[in-house]
Amino acid sequence: MTDLLLFQLRRVGRNKQYLFFTVLLPALFTVFFTKVFGAQAGSSAQYQEWARGYLVSMMAYGALGAALGATIRLAFDRRSGWLRQLRVTPFPPGAVLAVDVLVGALLVLPSLVVVALVGRFVNDVQLGLGTWVALVGVLWVGAAVFVALGLALGLALDEQAAGGAIGILSTVLAALGGLWVPVAVFPDGLAAVARAMPSYQYAQLGRDVVAGGAPAVVSLVAVAGYGLTFAVLALAVGRRRPLHAMAG
Amino acid sequence: MLDTPALDIEGLTVRYGSAVAVDGIDLHIPRGQTVALLGPNGAGKSSTVNAALGLFRPAAGRVEVLGREPGAAIRDGGVGAMLQHGGLPSETRVGEVLRLVGRRYAAPWPLADLAATTGIDGLLDRRVDALSGGQRQRVLLAVALAGAPPLLLLDEPTSAMDVEGRQAFWATMRGLADRGHTVVFATHHLDEADAVADRVVVVAGGRIVADGSAAEIKRRIDGRTVRFTCPGPRDELVALPGVTGVTALGDLVELATADVEATLRGLLATRDLLPDLEVRGATLEQAFLRLLDTRPETGALR
Repeated sequence: MTDLLLFQLRRVGRNKQYLFFTVLLPALFTVFFTKVFGAQAGSSAQYQEWARGYLVSMMAYGALGAALGATIRLAFDRRSGWLRQLRVTPFPPGAVLAVDVLVGALLVLPSLVVVALVGRFVNDVQLGLGTWVALVGVLWVGAAVFVALGLALGLALDEQAAGGAIGILSTVLAALGGLWVPVAVFPDGLAAVARAMPSYQYAQLGRDVVAGGAPAVVSLVAVAGYGLTFAVLALAVGRRRPLHAMAG
Repeated sequence: MLDTPALDIEGLTVRYGSAVAVDGIDLHIPRGQTVALLGPNGAGKSSTVNAALGLFRPAAGRVEVLGREPGAAIRDGGVGAMLQHGGLPSETRVGEVLRLVGRRYAAPWPLADLAATTGIDGLLDRRVDALSGGQRQRVLLAVALAGAPPLLLLDEPTSAMDVEGRQAFWATMRGLADRGHTVVFATHHLDEADAVADRVVVVAGGRIVADGSAAEIKRRIDGRTVRFTCPGPRDELVALPGVTGVTALGDLVELATADVEATLRGLLATRDLLPDLEVRGATLEQAFLRLLDTRPETGALR
């Protein structure tokens, strides 16, 4: 298991595109948008509010991209025949899926931590140490919802669709979930759509923590509900289409 | 445990929808044999190998690998396999893949020696995505051998190899057989079966049509054909010495024969004219067809 986990982590770590979209891009956005819009703030309190909001958005954006990107890759390994080869090699049954879930969960951390560090040290976001830890912790655990979604898609889609899905889904989830442009400036109809998005509710978990409280029950229930739905979906697809089934 | 056969297949039937790929195959392979599954494309070789690996549930029949259910034999490190639709992971190096796989077995093949044996030394640090087709094939062979397991199941292992690669592969297989490994490989090259296997099982139309030593099989399917224009009566041709089949091609007639010389002598003794006479080697497909139905093929005569 450990062998396979390190092997998979190394593979994803080598993917420059993955690192760019899940770590570097959210970090750059954090700096850029905070500097551009934060400069218009009338007071330091206003600046802090803007910078915190954008910090949480970009942590969520990086995390969902990392979780999806790490798990949808399953489709590539099916297409190449590697999953079939693993099936006739003495790995315990279920090891492949378990490792990919773990890889997805672990790779969320660099996105969260790097954006948090940029927020703290470049954008001067002021939060107590406990709040920083809680923020990273809540967003880390909550990212399970996107690990489950990525797994379901990785199992269901073929290689080409999977490749497209990573980018499109990250973009749609981020844009409609109010991670790029705050939902506060959305028109009413679109705001209602945003609030139904798992990405919006996921980011809310972080916003509530940053505001100094516990995550709202509504957001917790929404994220857990989405997570459960995606997990059940992944199980159902996995049963219909075993890992060693041929591509296509 | 060692007295259990390497592979024990009984009444194996594989269907894809309504098409029957394997039609009741019985195959018993004791440990230590090197066996070629020889047959044309679509004969049912791959389906047999895949069923032996437990990659799908057969429609009927029983498969035991090293005395156990296929999945259990694989998990215990008893099997190494090269699949027709197997592959390598992207964003890795060859050596990493071989180490990952090798470590899952009790006594993995030392990496440097494995690489030398399979002809991939110098490729261990190569990125998998940068391999050529033939190199990839040899790496897949190395993956199958990485654990030095007692049973090797190889599905068309040389299909993407050049001549040198093939010869290196044959040498590797003979070395494995000498060390007591059981090797079962599918191929549609008679010369390959002949060069490597001490037993050749000929598969055609989802059934086993011949099973014997390479020399025996070669004798049976390495036939030739004699063609000539023959507008007249042909009924007596079947009775000529050596003739195993007669096929009419318009005015042309084609005799399949196990003994060209005897057949020609017989022809010359009964006919004055043999216009457009031609002698050629039978294709393997013709040979397989003949094995499918070893009675003289008189049905095509008009």
